[in-house]
Amino acid sequence: MTAADVKARIVGGAAVLYPGAYLNRLKGEVLENRCQEFLIKGVRRLVINFEETELINSIGISILLGVIEAVNAANGILLLSNLNDSNRELFEMLGLLSHIQIEESEQMALAKLSVSA
Amino acid sequence: MKLELRKLLHTLNALNELSLEINSTHDFDEVIRASLHTCLGTLAIPKGAIARFSENPRQLKIVAAKGISGAVGQKIELGRDEAEKIAGRAKPIKLQAERNGLSHFVRRNTETFKKLRAHLIVPMTVHGDLQGAIYLAEKISGDDFSKDDLEVIHTIAQHIGLAFYNHRLIVSLKRKAEENRRLYREMKLVYHDIVKAFGSAIDLKDAYTKGHSDRVARYSEAIAKEMGVTGEELEHISVAGYLHDIGKITVDRSIINNPRPLTDREYKELNKHPAAGYEILANIRQPWQEIAYMTKCHHERIDGTGYPQGLSGEQIPLGSRIVTFADSFDAMMTDRPYRARLPLDKALNDLERNTNSQFDAKVVTAFCRILLKEITGATRERVFMPMIGLKFDRQAILEKLHDMASKLDALQANSATPS
Repeated sequence: MTAADVKARIVGGAAVLYPGAYLNRLKGEVLENRCQEFLIKGVRRLVINFEETELINSIGISILLGVIEAVNAANGILLLSNLNDSNRELFEMLGLLSHIQIEESEQMALAKLSVSA
Repeated sequence: MKLELRKLLHTLNALNELSLEINSTHDFDEVIRASLHTCLGTLAIPKGAIARFSENPRQLKIVAAKGISGAVGQKIELGRDEAEKIAGRAKPIKLQAERNGLSHFVRRNTETFKKLRAHLIVPMTVHGDLQGAIYLAEKISGDDFSKDDLEVIHTIAQHIGLAFYNHRLIVSLKRKAEENRRLYREMKLVYHDIVKAFGSAIDLKDAYTKGHSDRVARYSEAIAKEMGVTGEELEHISVAGYLHDIGKITVDRSIINNPRPLTDREYKELNKHPAAGYEILANIRQPWQEIAYMTKCHHERIDGTGYPQGLSGEQIPLGSRIVTFADSFDAMMTDRPYRARLPLDKALNDLERNTNSQFDAKVVTAFCRILLKEITGATRERVFMPMIGLKFDRQAILEKLHDMASKLDALQANSATPS
């Protein structure tokens, strides 16, 4: 796996993506592409697990907004999970919490999507 | 962490990333796309675009967009007053609230702004000149842009504007540099034509040396190349080949064309031509001074018995040592008033006999290698073949050249070995 790769897996029909330690332009573009690939394949339930993500920069936020819009446009559901305090504060500050659902853990997000891990 | 501090850190981080991106060596379109993302991500704005201003035609043309399909390439025409007013405003313009001087512009482009989801237009200016504009949709939160938000957006816009300004400067400089390179190439062609014309003029003075300067130049260049000379030095050696006899324009034609053996007085007169050539060329500015000196030394001999200075070995510039050889070879292979041209085998014997006395062994070795390649067809270049023709014993000449080259190689290897 190269530095720009984003790990992803399918759990019970939902896609779970792991952006890694730093969501910047490089990772953001890969994340966006992978989400698009899942949407094209018909996967409509997605979880982005931020457990390893320490930092999200402005470009990362902008790309994430694009992902949210793409999922909404495809009538899909996107949940974020495992956000650390810093990133949760950032999302709150930017007013994202009213537009995105956040769960404490990946399991809880999958449960919310009615998917058994 | 307090919200205000969190916001400040996020903004500072965004400005830092923007600066890094703008000063990076990435493709400029990519820089602008990344700058747009940074701007949008700083305040969580889902849609936006960046337009570049051009004076002729006067318009804002979208060069990057996010979240708006088909936006890139869209243009908004501007009147002169409008461009000046937008530049003069220098602060974000709220489209819906615009009442102050640009309302006509806003009304006229309402449909376009709707398509672009534009809520704000942020002018990008440098030194008061409009560079472009950023169109921004509402924030994802739906909250109105605060005064602080507008300040942040304005600062980001100025950064991006500076990137446009610098990019224009670089493009303009590159164009000028390319124009200068083209002029320089043309000037060089003219310069070479003049040099060739001079060479022909010199040869016209001597009924027997038509084409001599041209051949000496070509032989010198080929030998220099074979010896690994490149670039300007190679060019100088070629020019020195053309101009080596320029001093002969000061020598009386009756001496140059004299079919009888020259008297001492006539020799003395003729032998002044290298120094006279130097005097002619030395007053011309660089890079010709080097060429002038090569010309002066083209009758020096490696053993120090030449003229005008009696230099020896590496005191003689490499270019002169090469031209000396090329000059002599051409003289041997052409008819002269006092003798017919020499057969190739005899010429090679003469060259060998005079190696390390008149000629530099390294130059002679290079010549042998070129001639071997030309005769055997190992190269497509035909520098010496047109002069030597086909009337020679191929096998004998090849053996002779191999023999000369290997002997000279061995000699040079020995002289290079420390005792």
